[in-house]
Amino acid sequence: MKLHRINALLLKYYYISINRVDRIFDIFYWPIIDLFVWGFTSAFIENISEYNVLSMLLGGIMLWMFVWRGSQDIAVYVLEDFWSRSLYHVFSSPLTIHEHMSSIMLLALLRGIASFVFLALAAFLLYQFNILSISPLFLAISVFILTLLGWIMGLFVTSLVFIFGKRIQVLAWSVVWIVQPFSCVFYPLSAVPAWAQPIAKALPTTHVFENLRALLNGSAVQYGQLLYAFGVELVLLFVVMYLLKWSFLRAKKTGLLARAY
Amino acid sequence: MNTLTVKNLRKTFKNVVAVDNVSFTVKKGEIFGLLGVNGAGKTTTINILAGLLQQDAGTVSILGSDPAKENEIRNKMNVSTAYFPLSDVLTIRQNLRIYAKLYGVQNPEEKINELLETFELTHLAEARIERLSSGEATRTALCKGLINDPEVLLLDECTVGLDPDIAEKTRQAIKAYHERTQCTILFTSHYMYEVEELCERIAFMEAGKIVTIASAEELKKTIKKHTVEVTVKNHPEKLHALLEEKSITVLHAKQNTIIFEVDWEDEKLYKTLNNIFTKGFHLTNLHVQKPTLDDIFITMARRKK
Repeated sequence: MKLHRINALLLKYYYISINRVDRIFDIFYWPIIDLFVWGFTSAFIENISEYNVLSMLLGGIMLWMFVWRGSQDIAVYVLEDFWSRSLYHVFSSPLTIHEHMSSIMLLALLRGIASFVFLALAAFLLYQFNILSISPLFLAISVFILTLLGWIMGLFVTSLVFIFGKRIQVLAWSVVWIVQPFSCVFYPLSAVPAWAQPIAKALPTTHVFENLRALLNGSAVQYGQLLYAFGVELVLLFVVMYLLKWSFLRAKKTGLLARAY
Repeated sequence: MNTLTVKNLRKTFKNVVAVDNVSFTVKKGEIFGLLGVNGAGKTTTINILAGLLQQDAGTVSILGSDPAKENEIRNKMNVSTAYFPLSDVLTIRQNLRIYAKLYGVQNPEEKINELLETFELTHLAEARIERLSSGEATRTALCKGLINDPEVLLLDECTVGLDPDIAEKTRQAIKAYHERTQCTILFTSHYMYEVEELCERIAFMEAGKIVTIASAEELKKTIKKHTVEVTVKNHPEKLHALLEEKSITVLHAKQNTIIFEVDWEDEKLYKTLNNIFTKGFHLTNLHVQKPTLDDIFITMARRKK
């Protein structure tokens, strides 16, 4: 891997961001809308309940954002090359698929951090909720686990794009929302129907959000569960990297890179 | 010494054979043309050489390496085509900066300014690709193709959409670059005069195969017919009859002008013209047209149909 080539693509994403307002806009727009909707809802529920709903929901929104950003940004910025038909030039250069993906993963992380900082400030100003009051170690581990899952989903969609082309581009925006209902972001695992609980338990995300709620209720963090989540992600990462490599080689066989549609 | 070697290359898409057992070599510093009708396999060949497409069989060697397997060799080569613009939401300068970085170019701004000047794009440097005319976008793609001073340059119909003046300047720029660097160029085009002007040797492709490899002059000799236009002062019907008697194909006859085809081999052209003169025809116009690369192209295309 050559750093100057990763930097070249980061420069490209920077230029796309400053040239296209929508790419800056979506760092802030949907997160703040979520913050308003869930903030007002939880303020209302807190009046009729003894639970610390506000912290649970806002904490959930802020951390979930790393999964969403990771997944969507990777897929959308790969699609950007399809839309502009510039894969031809990108992959006829010395750039490798690993360098390409590394640059997009870094970009997704940077955009995630930008959204997170913005949301943390907004939540503090609007609801006096300080996300940094949560254990910094837990926060760091959670951000790592959730970002990694976002990347895995983004790489999965990218693999499908290399196989099927732009026909399946809708997955870039939707795949993350298939996982969300089973991830127990806003409600405890016990609230999930019995048939869905095995799915929820298998997902790495569930263990992050269960522990977030436990922490906010004054209980200890179960680091074993977080280790399990990381282990599952390592397996998924291995599988998705293999799928990505296979789909990229397949794209070279089918001619997708030289057609880019 | 060969810079580029292609051996028994084959590529199929489902049941369609796009490239069929293609072999050729390009010497260091040579400009080599790939010529053929649409679907002949030129672009597929270029895409395989650029490492964008994986062949089913055969080998490719550029500067001693296979670009599909060894990415670093692509630092020494580049590709330019009119069919794939650079990122359209970015400006010309932004695009070129990105590719300069990708190829690890030293003094990128100096190089970018030099290329913009060569291709008369300096005034458009801050314009987005989506706002450029097709000719301007094509010239930008050429700038990208030369950004790393490649030793091997693949040019796939890189002058499509350019007006004649700019196309000529572009050819001159390619020539000048070639003279300065002695780089190896693989060139495809639909414009025969362009191929003739730039390329030392030409491979004619048809239905995925290379039919022949030769210089433009040698290729033109494969067409034996010359076209002769004769205008006589009187008795054109007698000239018509004379030509028919000699089994010469008359292509066109109108008033006093007759156009016919005749082989240049075996002194047949000389004998025919001599016959016309000795029979006492009073000629007011005589024009002998040698075959051009266009004729080769058309002949090959018709043969395919």
